[in-house]
Amino acid sequence: MAIVKYSIPKLKRKKINLLNFLSLNLHKFMAVPALILFSVFFIYPLLNGIGLSLTDYNGISKPNFVGIKNFIDFFKDDRARNDVVNTVFFALACAPLLNIFGLIYALILDREFKGKSLVRAVVYLPAVISPLIMGYIWYFILQPDKGFLFSITKALGFTISNSNWLADRYMSLWVLVLVNVWQYVGMTMIIYLAGLQSIPVEVNEASKIDGAGYFQNLWYITLPLMIHPMKINIITNIIGSLSVFEIIVALTDGGPGYSTESLSIYIMRMCYGSFTGYSTAIAVILFFIILIPVLISFKIMKAREFEV
Amino acid sequence: MNFINKFCRPIVLSIITLLSLIPFYILLLLAFSPASRNFSNGLNLMPQLYFNNFIEAWNKSQIGLAIFNSLVITIGAVVVIVIFASSAGYAIARFKNKVNIAIFNILLVCMMIPGIINTVPLYALMNKIGGINTYWAMILVCSCNALPFSVFLYTSFIRSMSKEIEEAAIIDGCTKFSAFWRVTFPLLKPVTSAVVIINGLGVWNNYAQAVFFIQSQSMRTIPLAISMFFQQYGAKWNLMAASAVIGVAPAIITFVVFQKYFIKGITAGGVKG
Amino acid sequence: MKCKKLSLLITALLIGSTFAGCGTKPVATPAVKKDPVKISFFTGKVETVDLVNDMIKQFNAENPGIIVEQEFQKDASNVIKVKFASGAIPDITTVVSQDYVDQGKYVDLSNESAWWSRVQPSIKEMCTDVKTGKQYEIASNMTMAGLYYNKKIFSDLGLKEAKTWDEFNNNLMTIKDKKPEVIPMFVGGKEPWMLGHLVEFMAHGVIKQKYGATETKKAMLANDDSKLQFAAEGGPMDTFAKKILELKDAGLLNKDFLTATYDNQLEAFATGKAAIISQGMWALSGISDKNKDFKDIGFSPYPSIVDGTKPVILSAEDSVYAITTASTHKVEAKKFLDFMFKAENLKKYSEATKSPSAFIDVKADWGILKDEVTKALTNGVNIGFTSGPSGFSGDDAGRMIQELYAGKYKTSLDFAKAYKATWDKAWSATNK
Repeated sequence: MAIVKYSIPKLKRKKINLLNFLSLNLHKFMAVPALILFSVFFIYPLLNGIGLSLTDYNGISKPNFVGIKNFIDFFKDDRARNDVVNTVFFALACAPLLNIFGLIYALILDREFKGKSLVRAVVYLPAVISPLIMGYIWYFILQPDKGFLFSITKALGFTISNSNWLADRYMSLWVLVLVNVWQYVGMTMIIYLAGLQSIPVEVNEASKIDGAGYFQNLWYITLPLMIHPMKINIITNIIGSLSVFEIIVALTDGGPGYSTESLSIYIMRMCYGSFTGYSTAIAVILFFIILIPVLISFKIMKAREFEV
Repeated sequence: MNFINKFCRPIVLSIITLLSLIPFYILLLLAFSPASRNFSNGLNLMPQLYFNNFIEAWNKSQIGLAIFNSLVITIGAVVVIVIFASSAGYAIARFKNKVNIAIFNILLVCMMIPGIINTVPLYALMNKIGGINTYWAMILVCSCNALPFSVFLYTSFIRSMSKEIEEAAIIDGCTKFSAFWRVTFPLLKPVTSAVVIINGLGVWNNYAQAVFFIQSQSMRTIPLAISMFFQQYGAKWNLMAASAVIGVAPAIITFVVFQKYFIKGITAGGVKG
Repeated sequence: MKCKKLSLLITALLIGSTFAGCGTKPVATPAVKKDPVKISFFTGKVETVDLVNDMIKQFNAENPGIIVEQEFQKDASNVIKVKFASGAIPDITTVVSQDYVDQGKYVDLSNESAWWSRVQPSIKEMCTDVKTGKQYEIASNMTMAGLYYNKKIFSDLGLKEAKTWDEFNNNLMTIKDKKPEVIPMFVGGKEPWMLGHLVEFMAHGVIKQKYGATETKKAMLANDDSKLQFAAEGGPMDTFAKKILELKDAGLLNKDFLTATYDNQLEAFATGKAAIISQGMWALSGISDKNKDFKDIGFSPYPSIVDGTKPVILSAEDSVYAITTASTHKVEAKKFLDFMFKAENLKKYSEATKSPSAFIDVKADWGILKDEVTKALTNGVNIGFTSGPSGFSGDDAGRMIQELYAGKYKTSLDFAKAYKATWDKAWSATNK
């Protein structure tokens, strides 16, 4: 009955009316505004940029086409190799630490207690600040001899030998990793918390009844259900840590020398230093460096995924 | 387990909280201390209530103007993102045709592209269309960068919503298009708040784009103003800390106020998909 | 129906906002004579920002039709490239590079006789473009750079200003032995520009004193290896690297070399914790800020690093100004520069920046080091800054020194070769 009743009015209004057409079909075009915006301000410059990477543009005179010369130069470039090592090391160190600590924090917080939302907010708070400012604050704390950390330890009676962490090629990278993890562990934690909360209570109770201890429950039940949040976290962490820029500029400025220079910083410096074509080539290479681990993570995790 | 609950947990929680708060405390400590105070000896960590730093920092860094600029750009960008991304998310989640799926995949792939590769050509493009030093250009560029992730969140969430609500609205006479805006969109509050907060913060803190596209002093946003301030008064820690506190406070306050919605949104959009 | 109206409204909004971004150029306000002319003044000199702002206020007040606005950027030499590329070109700039001179981006100022007649001829020469013989910039001040030393420490230990490297080394060793709480030479290695300066003055100084300022400039612009000898064993770069490493190994430099800032360096010197620092006149106001009572400061040229060469001291143009050809208000820009070049303003500027004026008619009491500097200028060969390729800045050279110090290069010759390779690469990028 209902169907007949409502179709009659439509037949009566069957004027081929533009307004009617639009309102009936507009939903098909709802993704178009986003597409237009994205094409103009992202895709078009992106293609342009890829085009630039095949030239020797130096920011001043006309660019000439040089084919893949920039890419070949990249593989011969010592400083580039150094930066790839720095960037990859940074990502390899940050991603696991962010996830391990994020998960641990989430497990600790996964209970109702007074002040839970406060702790949650506080742990996430560092992520709200720009990494540039965060880097300056940490520089103040870790400055050799005068830094806050050292004046406090001195006052407490013990001195940390070789306090010049930021001058050491290797220590400075680790310092950056730790500061970065400290700042963004809140983000991974929130995602894991969300994942933990979506596990039905029955599942955990059933495993308890079956006699599973805390860690067995964790390993066999909880973790496998965390694959989806893990996927999100790992991918965001990989992308973020491979493009690291501001925190390094604020804390060490790529120094000492080039020992903490990341690829993003190199790209920026090359761009300013009249090697514009070369810098876009490096950016293209960076894209592939990001793409490959992300695709691999996708594949690995797809294999192990299962829903409740 | 009770032992752990009663003793270890609170201790661990306190350590975690303290660890996260230490740099903020130091920032406040520096901001409220006069320049003459020396931190290199002793455990004197009590803050003095010295407000002059803030006044000096406010005047010298013109941070009031920067806050206004940042507000305009952030609010503008957030509005654009929410409208565009939710529409796109709805289309992709509900109407699975080739075009929509292609759009989704393109956006996902572009999430992995480092922003720097766009910067030089984008700069040339902006120059041609007269976008340097304008609000609208900065708003559009920032929205663009935020689109992929936001679309992803909206798509996941809408997918997990049942279609019945919209179908009911359609039966009541709405088109599929208006069904979205009248019925679905209000239900998207959690995701929208997550999108608003994550992207709002991102645009507020944006440095990499601002440094290229905003050249004049009167259009400066907060990260630019603070960075300029740092460069000029590099060694005056107390002033720098004060300017950083002013610059960072709006973001922190917004986050603290809206955190409940934000977390609901992340939970909903990020996990259910 | 409610749904329809709403959907129309939203459709309009969506379509409208999609196209809002495309092509709405800001409407150009027609040039009404009553509207004030805006001049942008671009600078990278942090020390003068407040001072120039004061002068601008005065100028704006005296000239109601003109508004000058100063823009300071720490990374000025890079930011100006972005500005030129984007078309947001300032009217007046204090950052001038050879590449842009070659492209005709600056106005030819050679005919401004009202200015040049008052400028010291040596400064005019430094402002002259070697390729065309014209002046595209004008300098209002001179600056010197050399070694500041603590006179009291020197007199306590009976030390004299070093002319050769051996004398210099001995001085440092004596300080280290007799006054172990004092750092013989303090270098602010965190900021690459200071290390870049050491390269420009001490290392390149060998070349500059041999061929004179103009010929050296030409050789650098043409990348003439026969004169520059960057990669040669025993050449300027090899020797310089060797000397730095020797100082490091003998414990004569500050331990926090790689993390010490400009500020740390001035603080250490002003409080007597460091005996010698390498700096220019621009640092004087910073030093007196840190310790008003510290007046017993000596100033000497850099000792020679290669046996048989003479000590060098930087004596170069400072505070340069150029007007861009892209400026649409060249007349007003010149008016502002006229104002800045008034004798009483130059005097104020010179005394505030503690650097001597380049204008002959300005008698400023620019600082406590006036006599020391005059003496030093006669004791060392006067050299200028380095005209390197734009892709290889002082900062980049400074970073290579950081690498050297951190142990990246096995030998000083490796460093020299890497230096030449980087210089060549940058030079080829802009000289095709």
